[in-house]
Amino acid sequence: MKRTVVPFGPQHPVLPEPLVLDLILEDEKVLDAIPTIGYIHRGLEMMVERVEYTEMGFVVERICGICSFMHGMGYCVSLETIMNIEIPERAAWLRLIWAEISRIQSHLLWLGLGADAFGFENLFMHCWRMREQILDIFEKTTGGRIIHSVNRIGGVKRDMSDTELAAILVQLQDLGKQFKKTANVFGTDPSIAHRLGGVGVLSMEDARAVDCVGPMARASGIATDTRLIGANYYDRIELEPVVETAGDCLARVVVRMREIDQSIDIIRQAIDKMPKGEGMPLETKPRGNPMGEVFTRLEQPRGEVLYYVKANGTKNLERFRARTPTFANIPAMIKLVKGCELADVPNIILTIDPCISCTER
Amino acid sequence: MANPLRLPMVPRALRNLVSKPATRRYPYEIRPRFEGARGTIEFDVDTCNYCMLCMRRCPAAAITVSREDRIWAIEHLTCIGCNVCVEVCAKKSLTMSKESKPVHTHAEVGPHGERPGHEEWHKEETQAAEPAVQAAPAVGGASPV
Ligand code: SF4
Ligand code: SF4
Repeated sequence: MKRTVVPFGPQHPVLPEPLVLDLILEDEKVLDAIPTIGYIHRGLEMMVERVEYTEMGFVVERICGICSFMHGMGYCVSLETIMNIEIPERAAWLRLIWAEISRIQSHLLWLGLGADAFGFENLFMHCWRMREQILDIFEKTTGGRIIHSVNRIGGVKRDMSDTELAAILVQLQDLGKQFKKTANVFGTDPSIAHRLGGVGVLSMEDARAVDCVGPMARASGIATDTRLIGANYYDRIELEPVVETAGDCLARVVVRMREIDQSIDIIRQAIDKMPKGEGMPLETKPRGNPMGEVFTRLEQPRGEVLYYVKANGTKNLERFRARTPTFANIPAMIKLVKGCELADVPNIILTIDPCISCTER
Repeated sequence: MANPLRLPMVPRALRNLVSKPATRRYPYEIRPRFEGARGTIEFDVDTCNYCMLCMRRCPAAAITVSREDRIWAIEHLTCIGCNVCVEVCAKKSLTMSKESKPVHTHAEVGPHGERPGHEEWHKEETQAAEPAVQAAPAVGGASPV
């Protein structure tokens, strides 16, 4: 049969970002997919050589608009490890809380985009209505809705008062209740089950073979979660990775929905356990210039992110590299797209939660 | 397999018929920004001693200070609102207002040579010499603020 090559992206109705795939089709079946990345490459690795290390945090935050908090945090944690800075306890807890709030934000955003991609515009609006409340929390507590700029090397810049924290918890738990109703739609609607169930199945062995990370791996039954390594105070939190075994698109949706509940619970535990009081130290000022190199791992909403930072004792870092979760999940995506129907390609691509800005930096 | 007769969105849809809309009628209704939101940098020319610290620490190089000429200038379009200058200023000359000023993005130069988003203060005067942000005419749609 004759083969056709269909370009998918960089502009496609389901894609929020410029991912490019050349789909090689035989009839409606996808035989192969060739990804191209680099449409929004911004040259961060070159930039780090002329931007001072204290200022680079603001650049790193802007790698991605969805995990901007976690990127900023990852950069600061890396530099703190190199410079042997112990950050104040309350600052670490605040970071953890913000990180979990941004996870909820990211998952709600993705659920909305996913719903939009499989033609459920109504659901998209409901997810984004809930996400709006999270953005308001961010604006109240950090001063920015998307770019928060609260992470500094050595701590955080803003505090949340204990009453504010309690109010946030109440708001989040209320949001959790609202979300249950929406989650019910995802879980029980027959058209969603039909569109996503059994589509794009990634078995556990395959997921291991292509080194999936994050919700993608957890949906295939691999209990991996970088938070379990216990860094950044996650060791003080009781945490079970959310695992589903089906490995299809629906399982990936379910994992992210359950993670929203999990994050709300983590925030509750954190607020319980953090030291209370006003005017606690939030920052340890860094002294001198960093010297050394480090790998930092964090669990972002999309999976494990890896930062490599090498400093040479000057004001500029020698090397900074972020391996983002989407980059790690692209091989899995290619694997899933091969052999599926053309109409399922958008769903499969979206369920890996691609963040192309992150990937291309 | 889900039950094909279940229509989980129906109660929600019925409730939406009678409930208030979740959105606001922007730009007629504007939600005030929260306390502590980061908007626009404001400068107090009277207290500044031209130490140039803000200029050196600004990650976006949005601030230009000239100690000899006693000029303090900011490019609002370059500013990324990171708050660093406010934190480093020992004289507390800088504040972050919670409202974002409308900043014009057209490339026109104003009648007195002012650029969009550029504001400049000279020590002799107590007010902005060239309040370019307000002076530049609004282009492209009514500005809500
Ligand atoms: S840091 Fe403050 S006092 Fe110094 S030049 Fe800037 S605004 Fe003026
Ligand atoms: S807020 Fe940040 S970017 Fe803006 S002028 Fe101040 S230091 Fe520069």
